[in-house]
Amino acid sequence: MRIKRFLRLEGFLLFVCFMTALGRLHAQDSTATDSEQDSLITNANKESEFGYEPAKIPVRFKKTAINAVPMNLITNQPYISVAQMLKGNAAGVYVQEPSGEPGTLTNILIHGAGAPLLSNRELYDQQAVVYIDGIPQITRNPFVYDIQKYDFNPIGSATDVLAILNQNNIESIEVINDPVRLASLGPLASKGAIWVTTTPAVPRNIGIAVNSYFGVVPSPNVSVTNAAYENDFRRPFYNQFGNASRRLNYPAFLRDSTNADYYGPSNWTDLYYENTPIYSADASVTAGTGRATLRGFVSALKNANSADKTSINRYNAALSMNVVPYEWLSFSTKIDYNWLSRKRNRNITDRLAEIRYTPDLTNPLTPNKNLYGAYLSAFNGALDNNVNHVLNGYLATAIKFGNFNYQGRIALNYGEEFRDAFWPTVLNEGTNFVSNYFGANQRLDLSNILSYKLDVDANNSITIYGGQHYYKDDYKYNYAYAYNGPNDFIKINVVDYDASQADYLQSKGFIPYFFPSMMSTSLTSFDGNAVWDLGNKLKAHVLVRRDGSSTMQLGYKWFTGYGGSLDWDIKETLLKDQDKFSTLYINGGWSRLGKTYSDDRFSSGPQYRADLGWGNEPTLGSINGIAGLSRPYSTGWVGYEIPWQYVDNFNIGVGAGMAHDKLKVVLNAYNRDDKNGLFAMPVPVEYGYNSAYKTGLVVNNKGVDISIDATISAAASHKMGWVLNANLNYNQNKLKALPGGVNEVVIGRNKFVVGERIDQFWVFENQGTFSGTSDIPQKNGVTFNYQGVPFQIGDAKWRDVNSDNVINNDDKVLKGNYLPKMSGGLGSTLSYKALSLDFQFYFALGRKVLNQYASKRLDFINTEVANDINSIKEITYWEKKMDLTGYPMYNPWSDVVPYRLEQDIFLDDASYAKLRTVSLGFDFSKMPGQASNVFKRSMIYITGTNLATFTKFKGDDPELATYNGLYTGNALPMPRSVILGFRLSF
Amino acid sequence: MKILYTDWKKFCGIGLLLILITASCNKKLDLQSTRIADEEGHWSSYENARSGIIGLYGLTRAALAQNNTHWICGELRQGDFKSLQRSDLNAVISGKLNAGYPLLQQVSNWRSFYAAINACNLFIERVSGCLNDIRYTEAYYNLDVAQARALRAFLYFYMVRIWGDIPFSTSSGEGGNFDAMSITGKDAILTFATSELKEVAGKLPYLYSTIDPDQIFPSNYYNESADYWANAPLTRLAAYALLAHIAAWQGNYIDASIYTEVVANNYTKSNLDYVPVSTLVSPSGFFAGGTNNYRQLIGFNFTKERGETTVDGHIENLTLANTNSFYMSKKLPDIYVDKSTIGNLFPSTNGNDDRFGYDFQYTPALLYTTYFENYNAEIPVFKKIRVVDGGVNTGQFAVFNSSIVFTRLEEILLLRAEAFAALGREADARNLLNTLRGKRSIDPVSPLLSGSQLIDEIFRERRRELMGEGWRWYDVVREKKLLNNDPTFNAMVKNGGIYWPIAQEVLSRNNKIEQNNYWK
Repeated sequence: MRIKRFLRLEGFLLFVCFMTALGRLHAQDSTATDSEQDSLITNANKESEFGYEPAKIPVRFKKTAINAVPMNLITNQPYISVAQMLKGNAAGVYVQEPSGEPGTLTNILIHGAGAPLLSNRELYDQQAVVYIDGIPQITRNPFVYDIQKYDFNPIGSATDVLAILNQNNIESIEVINDPVRLASLGPLASKGAIWVTTTPAVPRNIGIAVNSYFGVVPSPNVSVTNAAYENDFRRPFYNQFGNASRRLNYPAFLRDSTNADYYGPSNWTDLYYENTPIYSADASVTAGTGRATLRGFVSALKNANSADKTSINRYNAALSMNVVPYEWLSFSTKIDYNWLSRKRNRNITDRLAEIRYTPDLTNPLTPNKNLYGAYLSAFNGALDNNVNHVLNGYLATAIKFGNFNYQGRIALNYGEEFRDAFWPTVLNEGTNFVSNYFGANQRLDLSNILSYKLDVDANNSITIYGGQHYYKDDYKYNYAYAYNGPNDFIKINVVDYDASQADYLQSKGFIPYFFPSMMSTSLTSFDGNAVWDLGNKLKAHVLVRRDGSSTMQLGYKWFTGYGGSLDWDIKETLLKDQDKFSTLYINGGWSRLGKTYSDDRFSSGPQYRADLGWGNEPTLGSINGIAGLSRPYSTGWVGYEIPWQYVDNFNIGVGAGMAHDKLKVVLNAYNRDDKNGLFAMPVPVEYGYNSAYKTGLVVNNKGVDISIDATISAAASHKMGWVLNANLNYNQNKLKALPGGVNEVVIGRNKFVVGERIDQFWVFENQGTFSGTSDIPQKNGVTFNYQGVPFQIGDAKWRDVNSDNVINNDDKVLKGNYLPKMSGGLGSTLSYKALSLDFQFYFALGRKVLNQYASKRLDFINTEVANDINSIKEITYWEKKMDLTGYPMYNPWSDVVPYRLEQDIFLDDASYAKLRTVSLGFDFSKMPGQASNVFKRSMIYITGTNLATFTKFKGDDPELATYNGLYTGNALPMPRSVILGFRLSF
Repeated sequence: MKILYTDWKKFCGIGLLLILITASCNKKLDLQSTRIADEEGHWSSYENARSGIIGLYGLTRAALAQNNTHWICGELRQGDFKSLQRSDLNAVISGKLNAGYPLLQQVSNWRSFYAAINACNLFIERVSGCLNDIRYTEAYYNLDVAQARALRAFLYFYMVRIWGDIPFSTSSGEGGNFDAMSITGKDAILTFATSELKEVAGKLPYLYSTIDPDQIFPSNYYNESADYWANAPLTRLAAYALLAHIAAWQGNYIDASIYTEVVANNYTKSNLDYVPVSTLVSPSGFFAGGTNNYRQLIGFNFTKERGETTVDGHIENLTLANTNSFYMSKKLPDIYVDKSTIGNLFPSTNGNDDRFGYDFQYTPALLYTTYFENYNAEIPVFKKIRVVDGGVNTGQFAVFNSSIVFTRLEEILLLRAEAFAALGREADARNLLNTLRGKRSIDPVSPLLSGSQLIDEIFRERRRELMGEGWRWYDVVREKKLLNNDPTFNAMVKNGGIYWPIAQEVLSRNNKIEQNNYWK
């Protein structure tokens, strides 16, 4: 609270200074000529567009930084989130969209993962940070999962808060993975950084731009099934292994083949898939001359998927301003507000996961349109409002004083999240459900950087930077849910707010379960770095920083990071007169950077919390209403002496430009060690703890990034232009050490062995079927068995790795990996006169998924009777997502569960390449004879997205798997869309 | 440069301002987590002790409720229930406890029991710190420690019944390095539990929060009334009930008869009483628990009004389904008692049993629906325990609030009858049995009933009375041991087959323990 008051006061003071400066500017506006002013603001802005920049390394190629997203490709694409824009466009960045639902969470990993992705919390900790105009964006903290029974989605709107950027307001998107630059950004960037710069208000941008597109997401062609198909699928199992009682329990919905609801026409797709419009419109004005510029930007957008009426709407307004009242003083400010509203899917799984209650699932939804329509009409009485507000703003100043340069900034990133859900009685066994969520994330970011440049001579300078940063993060949510409201018309829990009344805050008709929670963390950093520049030939960079975090324990609050790099421009030094290379350089760098914890509970050591629930009831915390506390048995013991985790990052790169930089190739090899990792190690369960947090996890990622940018032929008046961009990342991860010097550890369904990858599946190796009694080995009179259960005819034959005649966990092997070994993209732009044709490929190779979809379909006996969240049959149960022939025929009633998921028949190759977009554009302003055109640009284009997938995978889309490689078949398909748009600027 | 000098002050002002903004931030690294209670200052107040003792009960409840352990281990194996479709439950019923189903792996993992035990150990080690708070008197301290010790004894006994020989510790092990514990014999553990319970029984009151003339016990225990506590915390009689059960489990029926006598003679002091069938099966009756229900001698409540409604941890989760008089969307139950078993257990020769007999108000007479509904259908529904959504709702929203009841007066008296029969005091056994039969409106047993037939009849009465309360399997074990006429079973007793296997996960984390021989 103090910090907010503090911010208000200081913010006000700064604002006063700013206004004074503006006034001052106004008074002397007429003293300088326009050209002088232009140069002033351009120069000033180079230093302090946002008052905060990572340590500078030399710009290699004259025009573009090579690890930047080619903006010309993405401006014509209907993508909405940073992750989507990065996908396949920058080397070393792996983006996987687990669902095609617009606005859902997407994962961005740079150079692999530094810890096993055991849960959403680890996933969160491994995400790259996104800086928008230098403001590190705060995202939803995973502590919301603490109160969830299932973690498919976080409670709340579950909207990707990074879906706030419009391509037309982005100047550049750059991927930072250089060790020293990352270290200069601090612990937030320990997992890599995405550096997004929005279009600044500078004289070169002055003018008006209007851009818009309109398009459609056509409904896909899917092959549908009905009960007859399922019946035919199951019959062989019953013929071979069924007995009377098994037949007696034949599921009701399949039993009666005259039942038209299930056996009738399967036409549900008419209601599920619909041609859906999408659109976007934005306009910007950049104005001003000389010492003051102003840019305003507004946009409106709708993105949608043809499946299940899902969509996201976004409105955005941004205003930025730069003022240079004096030659030595500049201010810049920006404020940017976004409103996001999402229409979410109507999957039963997602709904029941929030309701935390599984109704009877015996009878699935029918494939019949009329009945499905009747079911959908129940949603008319439902509420599912998901709204996010995201605000970014900063006020920065730069002061030049001789060779001193000062940059200061206050920035704020604030996000609010609302969700109101109500599901009427008809949807849920006669019980309605209401939930309300309010969440707020706030990051206050204060920074000061002072630099001093010492020019020894024209070709020798030393610049010293000293910086200080402070981040204060506040996470908060209030979540309440209730069952069984009075009726389907009262959708919210109205209470009396008058404290004098007897029924003050008492709910009427609901018994709400209320979960408020908040968390505050802070990070303070001091850093110093020095750059020694020998006339662009050699550049040396050293950096030292000290970071203090509130999430660390007393005595371990601070961590020292350091690093250095050397850049040698070979071209400048040795090959100046040679024509072969237009650019040639080599650089290398190393840094050590601390990594904070996203959870504040490690800061206090041994602790107590409400832990009276269990897996299925995580929120139980009382007996007869009296709260009970205990050690954190289910979440794991936390001890003292937890040091900082840190990352040792090494990088060596070579860049070459040939033929006047028409061909640019950059090759980077990296080696990253995530050290001292805090890991929940299993301990003997006889102490009651699930695990104990121990420090000492070491994970290595090494690999190569290659970027190629080739202008095969430059566009000229009568010549075809062709530009190719390609990027490729090859990454290998390896577990180098586990806490306590242990060599291997089993956690749930995963096993981790030192020296092996961290993302492997742990499965039985399938070797066929036991088709006869003679097949089943006997050893010393004991039948080959699964943990004591003898194998029988019709069981899966798993390899007995340790030859002890028993199949158990010791016979599982590590196989396959869910993070790709190779990922990247290929883009191309062909242009001829006013015409341009772009296409973009994206690929991820050397990656596997565990096919839960197939396992569930084949293990129908156990799946159905369990009546849990995995037994749910969505409406897409009636879609043939995958051909299930080819799997061996097992006895699904067997006690060894032969169709269990963790075996290699369900381990599928999920490598893929996708033709992501093709875009055809026509720029009128480039037409011959249009030189005097008032338009800087007037272009129309047509773009198709998600056009083709090349893969061996048999399911619908290999990309649609969970972050840890589980293909469930429940994700909404990636939308295929066609848009028609124009871009005008003048 | 001229401008620069004239505005020197302004420059300084702005520069200093920004430096000042952040200079104080250094001190802001000491943020306390609001989501946990940290070690510092814990165990120093009355509230700490209260949340600690409640935590023990909560963890114990979680251990019994999780995966429906109380019934999976207690009710199913060789029991009266059959599973309709669930292969995992079928495996338990037929004793294939090592079958490859996730449920079985989860149930055979004893972590949650040890969490409760560890919490008891920690509580006993640390709660004395709360004496610093003047509100936390010696009386509170003694009572709380006695409860923790009794609860720990209960947990050990409960685990020995399931797993036999298990690791044992009376220390929280904090400050250690989670070293693997080795196995301790079941007899040693039960001896420990017995001595603990004998020691603390006298330190536990018959009732909580009553006026104690001797001022041994706090009069207004944690500011709640006697009605509030009812018998939810362990009472003196609870300790004796546990002692009796431990003795009976060890075959020591002399002690069992002594301990049950304490309960039989003093039950009114704990406001304990017989439960009429109407109360037993009422949705707001015995199993609904809550305040003012003294009849649960040892029970763990789930109070709807306090947000303790759950799906797991209730036998209703397995047994309930749609019936003619109670609509539920679940069409068929997971487990049920088939008609021949019902007929066999409630023979008409016993007379008109309140639990399953005829209601002669109607012509033709209708079957009672106290224990079962849908008797006329293929699959009857066991609805003795049916506290759906606080007992007020229909079954459309299948969440439950029934308490997990370990024992009640009838159960202890049947144990007493069993002890009499085992000790050859057959007349006493018959008398006691007849008293209980009278409460259920069935005819007394023949005065000639004796020997194994008497024992068998006592156990049949237990099956009728305690159906669905998590006793069946343990009763089978005691009966077979007592009768000693089933060689296969005797062999199973010998080689550990009456115990559950130990979960793979447990074994993989502790190299000092091995799988039970029978399940190897």
